[in-house]
Amino acid sequence: MNYLLHLLIYINIYAILALSLNLVVGYCGLLTMAHAAYFAVGGYTYALATQVLGWGFIPAAGLAMAVSAFLSLAISLPAWRFRGDFFVLISLAVQTFIFSLLYNWSDTSAPLGSWRNLTNGPFGIAGIAKPDILGFKVSSIAAYCVLATVSTAACCLLFWLLKQSPWGRLLKCMRDDELAVRGLGKNTRLAKTQAFAVACMFAALAGALYAGYVGYLDPSSGSLDESILMLCMVLVGGVGNFRGPLVGAVVLLLIPEALRFVHMPDTIAANMRLMIYGLLIVGMTHFRPQGLAGEYRFK
Amino acid sequence: MVCETTVYPSSAAPSASDLHPVSSDRRVIMQARNLRKSFGGNQVLKSVDFDLHEGEVVLLRGDNGSGKTTLLNILTGNLEPEGGGVRLDADGSAEDFEFPRAWWRDLNPFDHFTPERVANEAAGRTWQDIRLFSTQTLVDNIAVATPRQAGESPLRAIFQRRRVRLAEDKNRAESVKLLSGLGLGQRADSSADKISLGQTKRVAIARAVRAGARVLFLDEPLAGLDAKGIEEVMALLTDLARNDKVTLVIIEHVFNIPRVLDLAHTVWTLRDGCVTNEAPEKVRDEMRETAGDGVMHLLRSIAGAPTEQEVQLPGGAVLTRLQRGDVDNPKVVLEIKDLVVLRGNRLVIGEEASDGSVNGLNLTLYAGDLAVLQAPNGWGKTTLLEALCGLIPIERGEIHFQGRSIQNLPSWERIKLGFSVLQARNHHFDNLTVAETFALAGTTIPVEFAPFACRKLSSLSGGESQRVVIAAYQFSMVALYDEPFSTLDAEGTQLWAMIWNGLFLSGRQPVVLLLLPYVNLRPDC
Repeated sequence: MNYLLHLLIYINIYAILALSLNLVVGYCGLLTMAHAAYFAVGGYTYALATQVLGWGFIPAAGLAMAVSAFLSLAISLPAWRFRGDFFVLISLAVQTFIFSLLYNWSDTSAPLGSWRNLTNGPFGIAGIAKPDILGFKVSSIAAYCVLATVSTAACCLLFWLLKQSPWGRLLKCMRDDELAVRGLGKNTRLAKTQAFAVACMFAALAGALYAGYVGYLDPSSGSLDESILMLCMVLVGGVGNFRGPLVGAVVLLLIPEALRFVHMPDTIAANMRLMIYGLLIVGMTHFRPQGLAGEYRFK
Repeated sequence: MVCETTVYPSSAAPSASDLHPVSSDRRVIMQARNLRKSFGGNQVLKSVDFDLHEGEVVLLRGDNGSGKTTLLNILTGNLEPEGGGVRLDADGSAEDFEFPRAWWRDLNPFDHFTPERVANEAAGRTWQDIRLFSTQTLVDNIAVATPRQAGESPLRAIFQRRRVRLAEDKNRAESVKLLSGLGLGQRADSSADKISLGQTKRVAIARAVRAGARVLFLDEPLAGLDAKGIEEVMALLTDLARNDKVTLVIIEHVFNIPRVLDLAHTVWTLRDGCVTNEAPEKVRDEMRETAGDGVMHLLRSIAGAPTEQEVQLPGGAVLTRLQRGDVDNPKVVLEIKDLVVLRGNRLVIGEEASDGSVNGLNLTLYAGDLAVLQAPNGWGKTTLLEALCGLIPIERGEIHFQGRSIQNLPSWERIKLGFSVLQARNHHFDNLTVAETFALAGTTIPVEFAPFACRKLSSLSGGESQRVVIAAYQFSMVALYDEPFSTLDAEGTQLWAMIWNGLFLSGRQPVVLLLLPYVNLRPDC
């Protein structure tokens, strides 16, 4: 039972990530490879706020979202000018830059959270407290599952409202033809900045949930591999609509789990997981470019 | 260089007879002074000056490469000129843009000369390639254009849902009403890529007006349209000019200019980098003397006293065969029998009979034929061309070339036999220079193209690159052209005629099949 709950928590966290990534990839048409970096920024901010400042879940997660939204300028400002391959390269640079910061901002002689040792480098931050919401300690796995599910449901509602709004329509039109949108007098730069801020905010929320659940965070949670996994979820599930990323998150988390039941050794299973992701992407690109449940395809 | 600009006194202002005259005492809503722009040392605009009055309808014309699209791009904020000034006063608050701009002004992100800024000053545009939002419905294409929507902020979309929903309901209702006015009310929820070319052009115009445009720049709004499409777009433009008093600046291709002249008050002719004002009547007279009334007239004149045969084809298409008088006993070169072509499950070439059976297309062309197939938009001209040269499979039927059945041959074998094809779009490589394009085609570069030899095709105007492609295009026995004249001026069309004549005089008797939209511009019509 605990295994199923654990799986459900992971599905919830990755569903938030895929939904938020879909906002920029599917609606804005900007293929970003830096989403895991903002996920990690959220996790680290939450961990530091709870451990160093002693904050509860809600203010700590709020701070994580605010920091991540502010740092989203690092990727949204280049998006003012660049699209396509150049933008992918810039997002890779942002991803690498943030990962390097997380990995190297450490000094074992200084206390955790000080200016000299903000992230504790490759050793990561251990012992992150379980969330404390208005005096209620979310310590059991069942309670955490409820917290994750409620958070995901709230995110779903929010992204659905955004998708249905004139703002969502503006993003989709911008994806189809940015110059034509500008010719109608729309400020596409502002729209892109807003989209990245919202997407990165919710990646940070997922990061906070992850940090609170696992209790330990190291820079590998913000690695390029994680970004690629999130992108796979969106691309395999289908970009540009609501259900695609949710389907992608479920499929990509469940397929590797299935390997547990064929009694494959862990060393092989890890590589097999990557192979399956690769095959899925190649297969989807060839047979169903719009994804399992998508409506828009990258040209 | 000093340009000679004719300024009409108010009493002599050129005006269409059934429209209100536009006099210089009307408010000037746009002014350009000494606009200059060059590309790679080639000065396209030398000194452009004009005054655009409220409610005026202007036809902007010029030869290929004269800078029409460049000027339009500058006036709509898509391109910065090197020098000069633009004053825009369409919405009652004048805005001045002087060029070149001081470097420190560019530091201010809110003070750039951009399309959105010009659009917010009530100057809109439509594009030659239309640019509707293809994944969106028609009603969304219109509704997105509405300025200052409450729901365009994500915070308001979430926290002021009631207000946003009310505004959005109103916006959609008005957009549907606008579409109903265009006769597209029933198709409001259709995807923008599922409607005809004429309909997309009208939706694009309506979208720009919905965005608040009081000055509308239209880049070839009639290009590629059949007779019905032209009538519909012209009706919309007339309505905008007469009833809504929208100021229109229309760029149009030489063969469609007579249509626009019916509506225009003024003609701006762009020549040698300067704009000259002319009266529509004068331009109409001039066109009568030169190019005639349309492409068919021109083709007749270059075919040289031909025998003419008109064949009605299914679906409202007409095949006109212009047979040169100096060909004795012409042989059959291309014969199409019972051709049926599908796109997916949709029948494109062929006609469904009342009993459910499908009748295929039959067509015969003889040596020396200059055949013109005029068909309405959506008839399947491009599909026919692709099927003939083997780019898409056929469902049924036979294609005979000089007595040999070729329908099972791959495209490259057909080309080797003497087939050649020039598609309407995507027919050149943007990153090749003019010299490389000719080298790729296996021909020597003609003298008149030598000055452009080192320029990439991407840096040429639409008409100039079309000319290069036409001149480089080699054909031996059967040439298939899909809308070759869409961006060519009269001179470019003559160039095409010279090449065709040259081949003919060299002893070969090629078959040329031109696929054109059905416009029926014969002088007697």
